[in-house]
Amino acid sequence: MAQIFRKSANNIAKISMVSVVLLAGVGFYAWTQLARSSYLTGQYLEIQQPVQFSHKHHVGDDGIDCRYCHQTVETTASAGMPSTQTCMNCHSQLWADAPYLEPIRASFRDNKPIQWNRVHDLPEYVYFNHSIHIAKGVGCSTCHGPVDKMPTVYEENTLQMEWCIQCHREPEKFIRPRSEVFNMAYRPDDTDQATRDQLKVDYKIRSREMLTSCSTCHR
Amino acid sequence: MSLNKRNERRLYLRSALILAAVCGLLLTEACGVRSDMQDQPRYDAYEKSDFFADGRSSRDYPEGTVARGHLEDNKAFFTGKIDNPDPNAQAATSTDANGNTVVSSFPNAVTEFPLPVTKELIDRGEDRYKIYCMVCHGQFGDGDGMVVRRGFPKPPTYHDDRLRNAPVGHFFDVITNGWGKMNSYGYQVQAADRWAIVAYIRALQLSRNPDSNLKMTSTANSNTATPAAAAKPQAPAANGATNKGGAK
Ligand code: HEC
Ligand code: HEC
Ligand code: HEC
Ligand code: HEC
Ligand code: HEC
Ligand code: HEC
Repeated sequence: MAQIFRKSANNIAKISMVSVVLLAGVGFYAWTQLARSSYLTGQYLEIQQPVQFSHKHHVGDDGIDCRYCHQTVETTASAGMPSTQTCMNCHSQLWADAPYLEPIRASFRDNKPIQWNRVHDLPEYVYFNHSIHIAKGVGCSTCHGPVDKMPTVYEENTLQMEWCIQCHREPEKFIRPRSEVFNMAYRPDDTDQATRDQLKVDYKIRSREMLTSCSTCHR
Repeated sequence: MSLNKRNERRLYLRSALILAAVCGLLLTEACGVRSDMQDQPRYDAYEKSDFFADGRSSRDYPEGTVARGHLEDNKAFFTGKIDNPDPNAQAATSTDANGNTVVSSFPNAVTEFPLPVTKELIDRGEDRYKIYCMVCHGQFGDGDGMVVRRGFPKPPTYHDDRLRNAPVGHFFDVITNGWGKMNSYGYQVQAADRWAIVAYIRALQLSRNPDSNLKMTSTANSNTATPAAAAKPQAPAANGATNKGGAK
């Protein structure tokens, strides 16, 4: 009886077994990369807005403090968005006829809010709160990057769980003195590690176990 | 409550994976991609509403309602004004070289701080002044802030006789209700913080002119809220009629 499989079939069988494992490995790796890619996390994607509002001009060039517009960032979960009236504090006088500010004036006239498109948007099963991070010395730029240099805001970080966790494990590597939280020119090595360790104690930052426990963020 | 692009793409990836893993079994189930956990049937702060005509999910208080602890019945503390015993008292005004009206007396403004003036109050005031006022009035109150250099009308300096002699209640009133070309900052700055800013401005005036007879007296025995108690967190976009916009 003729043999169905020649001897070389052994090799084919071995190669296919190895390649299944390899393919699975490569596939898994590709998936982890894809899941972290900016295509899926939105990192670095510039979002267009109804008004060409520029943080670079307002914060970088004119030196307006974040809290002038994001008023509730120290006190509530949400950072707060400026009302149209806040824009009109200046733009009722300044560039009051500029055509690209017309949506602002229309919003003010008609009492209709401007609809900004979200840049950062966590899934709603995650609880995030700005005020505690501000109170414990996490700077805006640690999470949002150099906003004062952004003509259009983009996401500096992935906002994935692993990003939150890498800080919650070792907050002492990231915190800064409270007085520097809003300082966009601050660099992480402006404070040495010993001082940061002390800040962690002074600010009563809780243990790694507490901060990485699931119910801290999924409540 | 619509999905944004990113969540949408992630969902597609995820559903593709699920499909590949358990295709046969799940095919019937997964026809409609579900996202109930990402976008739950509740409003996030500033979220757009399809229900209310103006599109805002953050609602103003109904007219005539008062939130607990916000009765604001202490007139001096919340308006910077008192009823002048002389009902006919008039503000003294004059016209300057440019034809603008200059007000130089403030008969109804309170002359003493309605809360204790402490170092903490002045420090808090410095902090708030640098957020809300410095962009126009400049670091030391000379009226030369960045926004003025970009073309906003120049405010008066704090260091002239008229504003040195103005009672503290006048400054409070300017922040609360605005003044001429300056808009009101009452909705951005809480009452206790407004007093803190006024204390800081007085401190600036004193530092430039230490010999003047400026005093930082206070009716500290009043039972007004202390700065800490009055500086309650502000709910986003739910305080009164001044709120416009900001919906997401
Ligand atoms: C003059 C007002 C103003 C100031 C000052 C300001 N912002 Fe903004 N910010 C806005 C407006 C308006 C938007 C919405 C439009 C946009 O995304 O560009 C916004 C959006 C943002 C967003 C993105 C929000 C989202 O949708 O996820 C971040 C992050 C942010 N600001 C951070 C900051 C930081 C940090 C500072 C201080 C360094 C600051 N902003 C100062 C007005 C301001
Ligand atoms: C404290 C004053 C101030 C406030 C508040 C303010 N702006 Fe501006 N804005 C300016 C100044 C000053 C410029 C000119 C920028 C420059 O040339 O540096 C400007 C310029 C602009 C421009 C022109 C494009 C550019 O960036 O040069 C737009 C659009 C604009 N502002 C939108 C807004 C919106 C929207 C808001 C409300 C969220 C706002 N502004 C609030 C001061 C202000
Ligand atoms: C610990 C990291 C972290 C820090 C520090 C931080 N943010 Fe955020 N910020 C976020 C995240 C995460 C979101 C998305 C929140 C969501 O989707 O619910 C966000 C959202 C925002 C938004 C959009 C509105 C909102 O609240 O959802 C603004 C505006 C903003 N941040 C401004 C600021 C400013 C200004 C500071 C500094 C005072 C700051 N953030 C500090 C992480 C941070
Ligand atoms: C750069 C550091 C850093 C990053 C990034 C960060 N956090 Fe935090 N987080 C902190 C610190 C510090 C605290 C204060 C802990 C304390 O007080 O014990 C905190 C506290 C919290 C708390 C409050 C815990 C409580 O019990 O009240 C929540 C919720 C939280 N973080 C969620 C998040 C989420 C969600 C993210 C990611 C989107 C995130 N954090 C990213 C540093 C960070
Ligand atoms: C510091 C805050 C934080 C803590 C602590 C935390 N998570 Fe998360 N988790 C997040 C964030 C933020 C996301 C959203 C990630 C995203 O959008 O990609 C998330 C997403 C998830 C998801 C959904 C993942 C997906 O891709 O659909 C699961 C499941 C989850 N977390 C489980 C856990 C478990 C289990 C723990 C405890 C061991 C935990 N988390 C602790 C912040 C946290
Ligand atoms: C957008 C620019 C701008 C900002 C921000 C601003 N002001 Fe003004 N302010 C002005 C201008 C312009 C005038 C002159 C108004 C006029 O006479 O028409 C003025 C006038 C004043 C006066 C003098 C009133 C008088 O009797 O002549 C005081 C006091 C004052 N501002 C206090 C403040 C305080 C306190 C803040 C911070 C909470 C502040 N301003 C923020 C622009 C600004």
